[in-house]
Amino acid sequence: MNDIHALVLTGYGLNCDNETAYSFELAGAKATRMHINSLIDGTVRPDNFQIMVFGGGFSWGDDHGGGVVQAVRLKNNIGDRILEFIEKGNLIIGICNGFQTLVNLGLLPGFGNDYATRSVALTFNDCGNFRDDWVTLAVNPASPCIFTKGLGQMELPIRHGEGKFYSDESVISRLIDSHQVALRYVLANGEPANGAFPFNPNGSLHDIAGMCDPTGRIFGLMPHPEAFNHETNHPDWTRTRERTKRQGGKPDSGITPGIRMFQNAVDFFR
Amino acid sequence: MPHQLEITLKSDLLDAEGEGVRQKAQDYFGIVLSQVRTIHLITIDADLSGEQLEKVRTEIFTNPVTQVSSYNPLPIEFDQTIWVGYRPGVRDNPGSTAVEAVEDVLGIKFGADEAVYTSKRYCLKGSSLTAEVADMIASELLANDIIQQWKIFSEESYEPSTGVGLIIPKVILNHDPTVSSIPIDSDATLQKVSNARNLALNPNDIPFIRAYFLNKKVQTGRARVGLSDPTDIELEYISQARSDHCNHNTFQGLFRYQEYAGAPVEVVDNLFKTCIEAPTLELKGKKPWVISVLWDNAGVGRFDEDHYYVITGETHNSPSNMEAYGGAITGIVGVYRDPLGTGKGSKLIMGSYGFCVGHGDYDGDLRPRLHPRRLLDGVIEGVRDGGNKSGIPTTFGQVLFHHGYMGKCLVFVTAVGLMPATVRGEPAEQKTASPGDLLIMCGGRVGKDGIHGVTASSEVFSEHTPAGHVQIGDPYTQKKMHDFLLEARDEGLIHFITDNGGGGLSSSIGESARFSNGCEVQLEKVPLKYQGLDQWEIWISESQERMTVAVKPEHAERFLELSEKHAVESTVIGTYTDSGKLHITYNGKTCAYMNIDLTESGFPQWEFDAQWQPPEERGLSEPVLGEPADYENLLLDMLSRPNICSKEWITRQYDHEVQGASVIKPLVGANRDIYSDAVVIRPVLDSQKGLAFSQALVPAYSAIDAYLMTSCTIDEAVRRLIAVGGDPEHIGGVDNFCWPNIQYHPRDNPDGKFKAAQLVRSCRALRDMCLAYGIPLLSGKDSMYVDGHLPGRYRETHKVSAPETLQFSAIGVIDDMTKCVTMDCKMPGDLLYVIGMTRNEMGASEYYEHLGHTGLTGPKVFPEQFMPVYKRLHRAIKEEFAASAHCVCRGGLAVHLAMIAMGGDCGLTADLSAVPSELVKRNDTILFSESAGRFIVTVDPDNQEQFEKIFDDVSCACIGKINGEPDFKIKGIGGKTLLDVPVQSLRNAWKDPFGGMV
Repeated sequence: MNDIHALVLTGYGLNCDNETAYSFELAGAKATRMHINSLIDGTVRPDNFQIMVFGGGFSWGDDHGGGVVQAVRLKNNIGDRILEFIEKGNLIIGICNGFQTLVNLGLLPGFGNDYATRSVALTFNDCGNFRDDWVTLAVNPASPCIFTKGLGQMELPIRHGEGKFYSDESVISRLIDSHQVALRYVLANGEPANGAFPFNPNGSLHDIAGMCDPTGRIFGLMPHPEAFNHETNHPDWTRTRERTKRQGGKPDSGITPGIRMFQNAVDFFR
Repeated sequence: MPHQLEITLKSDLLDAEGEGVRQKAQDYFGIVLSQVRTIHLITIDADLSGEQLEKVRTEIFTNPVTQVSSYNPLPIEFDQTIWVGYRPGVRDNPGSTAVEAVEDVLGIKFGADEAVYTSKRYCLKGSSLTAEVADMIASELLANDIIQQWKIFSEESYEPSTGVGLIIPKVILNHDPTVSSIPIDSDATLQKVSNARNLALNPNDIPFIRAYFLNKKVQTGRARVGLSDPTDIELEYISQARSDHCNHNTFQGLFRYQEYAGAPVEVVDNLFKTCIEAPTLELKGKKPWVISVLWDNAGVGRFDEDHYYVITGETHNSPSNMEAYGGAITGIVGVYRDPLGTGKGSKLIMGSYGFCVGHGDYDGDLRPRLHPRRLLDGVIEGVRDGGNKSGIPTTFGQVLFHHGYMGKCLVFVTAVGLMPATVRGEPAEQKTASPGDLLIMCGGRVGKDGIHGVTASSEVFSEHTPAGHVQIGDPYTQKKMHDFLLEARDEGLIHFITDNGGGGLSSSIGESARFSNGCEVQLEKVPLKYQGLDQWEIWISESQERMTVAVKPEHAERFLELSEKHAVESTVIGTYTDSGKLHITYNGKTCAYMNIDLTESGFPQWEFDAQWQPPEERGLSEPVLGEPADYENLLLDMLSRPNICSKEWITRQYDHEVQGASVIKPLVGANRDIYSDAVVIRPVLDSQKGLAFSQALVPAYSAIDAYLMTSCTIDEAVRRLIAVGGDPEHIGGVDNFCWPNIQYHPRDNPDGKFKAAQLVRSCRALRDMCLAYGIPLLSGKDSMYVDGHLPGRYRETHKVSAPETLQFSAIGVIDDMTKCVTMDCKMPGDLLYVIGMTRNEMGASEYYEHLGHTGLTGPKVFPEQFMPVYKRLHRAIKEEFAASAHCVCRGGLAVHLAMIAMGGDCGLTADLSAVPSELVKRNDTILFSESAGRFIVTVDPDNQEQFEKIFDDVSCACIGKINGEPDFKIKGIGGKTLLDVPVQSLRNAWKDPFGGMV
């Protein structure tokens, strides 16, 4: 079987590159961390990769809106190469700061093959602050999103100050109708969060936590799947272990939902 | 011509920032505002065409979905509008990234005179909002006059077409860099210069400095390079190097210690050598995991065969006290440069904080520069931005309120890094600079920032303290540099590396050049933020985010190439030599020429009289208290006390999970809202090994005896580590002392001798505990002069001194992190154990404090009794017989039983008569005594036998069990029910005090 190569961007204040690359390796990909400038100066070409990862961090300090300057720099320098990458049927995932970058690049929502228009935004959390917490997410089974295929309700950490999904109602209706809303914040019992804090941690309209383009190959989400790369990342793991032990079971050291999301990407090419 | 862009959120979007201002105005000052909207201003001081301006407006500065913007003032309604901008020369991080973005989008380069400045305009609406009230909001909430300026417009005084007007905070010095000679004809002359230039030279050092420069041989050598009298740059260098902050003169001092007034004098020569260095060296011999201690920027311990961890901690008190946000962000970003500059460099993997401030609700007559509430807000935000934007998890932290911190707050910051054991076959913890190596400065540029920061933190804060030492850290620039330097390290390009912190180049070059025994520096090559700095200013400026690196000439090209790839500025500014001299030139002319070892040779030792007064002699005694009858309200009130209650909102705004290595988080339990004893990370992602970390901060016991305080603090840090599964055989320590001035002065510091004695006692406790527990001190720092002079009602001033404070950090490696436990009780039916002895040790307890007393007998630490218990608990956890473990600390058994119940969201029943105790006859003593060495552990009944067997020869008893019911039930010694209260009520009491904060 051919290796699936994932390109994880680094530099300029990005900071989740190590664990993101590690998680893609766990998912079966060959992951390469690469500085944005090495992509711009042509040292590496996107052609050698199937998955491009815009990871978490504070690119350019997020000083003029999360992901804004990163998007501007990429668009100006390698915008065409990114579009080529998409045209070839490859995958792109944007996590947190990467999601912010994707919407500012206009790669999302990508209505009607328009990968340039900014029509959705991730803006300041309603709570007025950066927040680190675990949230419960519902997956839209009808979504074309490659990354969330076959996944059920899951918990992942969020860590951001600008994660409130915002757009015109007309845009949002279109996103919902086309099942581009792949992930939503829900209560622990799976019912919609309906904006209730802290389940919906940022005030996202329609509890939107993650979305894809109409092809399902470009995916952006605020939660961090790469930060759930091991069972011990989960805040309840010591409680779960104890409960499992009492029931005579063994602790589940299987694959976490975070890694499964990346496996879906790898499997897409197999 | 400059252009000013105003940007704001569309009106249908919630303005969370404005809403925060509105809320604080109400909460802090009772000012009712109906609306606050914020406008962001971008002032572009560059020659751009209309087309270019429109391009940057739409592509960079305006989000079409959420924002509107215009180069004309935006018509947002207000009764008063407040413009807030930086003062000239203050670090404007968004301004700098704006330049990068504009240059990229337009494909241009800004000229040296061109820049982008950011500022804000707040539009306030409120029915009776006057200019005076707006000014108060500006000065007390929105801006700090040390770094910011503001203007206020009412609806009437505002001209809609010109708005707030154009203010360009550009630094214009119009000054030719000049080196001055300083006359040294007498001690008095030099003392005068020292005072006038704010050099803070110690009077005892002055004759020594003069003797050096008057030495014939020295003079002959200096004459050859064209120098005679010392230059300003040379004296500034000596001042920096000799400052207490850099040189630790206090800890290296000579103490004449008396156990009580009239007791024989014991001479203690050098607390550092006797109480820190000696025990650490002794333990290093016994603990092969200690890799590198006592010389580098941080200590190094072994994580596994291929990796070492690196740790250090420091404080950033004085700057934070003046500008809370700037001081704190500079502090956390600054401490992160220490592991980066340890050995050949390490990656940062974790940080922590400790904030000590005055009471948040203080409404007395004293007027500190910043109210404690505002100060705390600022330091929280500073560490948040510094840590989060660095991509380093802030996994642990504590906040402490005490009146003594009104004079000066404490901001502790701790950094942990990870390095490979070897770099290209060479030991990674070693480094050296050799003659011929190039001297390279990396990172930020140099401005007037932070000049005399080091000497200012070595002085008591007063209204004359220069404000110029306050800076704003730039985590973005540093993160780029961090990534660059690690890549350079891995390619074997770094021969020596150290950070530019206190003292700037003067410290980093002065220290690194000792390895090669000399250097030549061409000061004109140092990149500046703006022209016009004197040579001495370039030399000692503390402009942040800079490292000094020694690179072999053959590696220079590759090093600079990598630097460029990472968009980091690196400049060769000199060469290391073996001349024995520190030789600085500016445009070819020598401005400093000194022996490289001058600052570490022969300076007189500082001396202190230290006179202890036992607590009885200070009038302390046990209070005469009858036993309470209403335990329910007592416990609820204890849980609500500021130093006990939940501060979840702080923890949640710190990214504690980035890097994907989190194992035990700062908040744990069924509802993920109770503090963990310690945190654990998995820094090598494909390894089962964990790194556990804890800290303790219990200065309250200093009111009785700093020996007690220190031993309790260390014991607590150790127990916290053990409680999550830490290994008693591998505990590294970091000591961070913060002490008031200890130099006796009959008028200015009448109790100086006592405070000096407290320091001696504290250091002795540190030595005793470290030896007894086997804790080598991997790193440590001291910050003296934690005093302030605060104006009162009549503008008289009051000296307020902090309690003698030690923050102790403990770190250790856990073989298998999947065996770790958390403190929350797990299952109904589990047995509840108390391990360790409860004694009548209520002195300086939270309980006494709550009732307004100090008492006399505080908790004693008995390491020889405790250590065997800790080893047993470690075994029980490793063998999976403990479902939860929690250390009993501040607040005693009552508070900590409540914690484990809230953690598990489960009721419990406990019988106080079963608690192992010694000479305790009262329920309140069992419930609230803070005896050291204790744990609460819950155990699956199936494991009862094995668990009890492990503890069969130490104090350990089952005192009750976890319930399926929601109630917290405690039975007293006599069998009477003392407490029967829903766990939810406990939780409410614990969370309510700061419950509204997000």
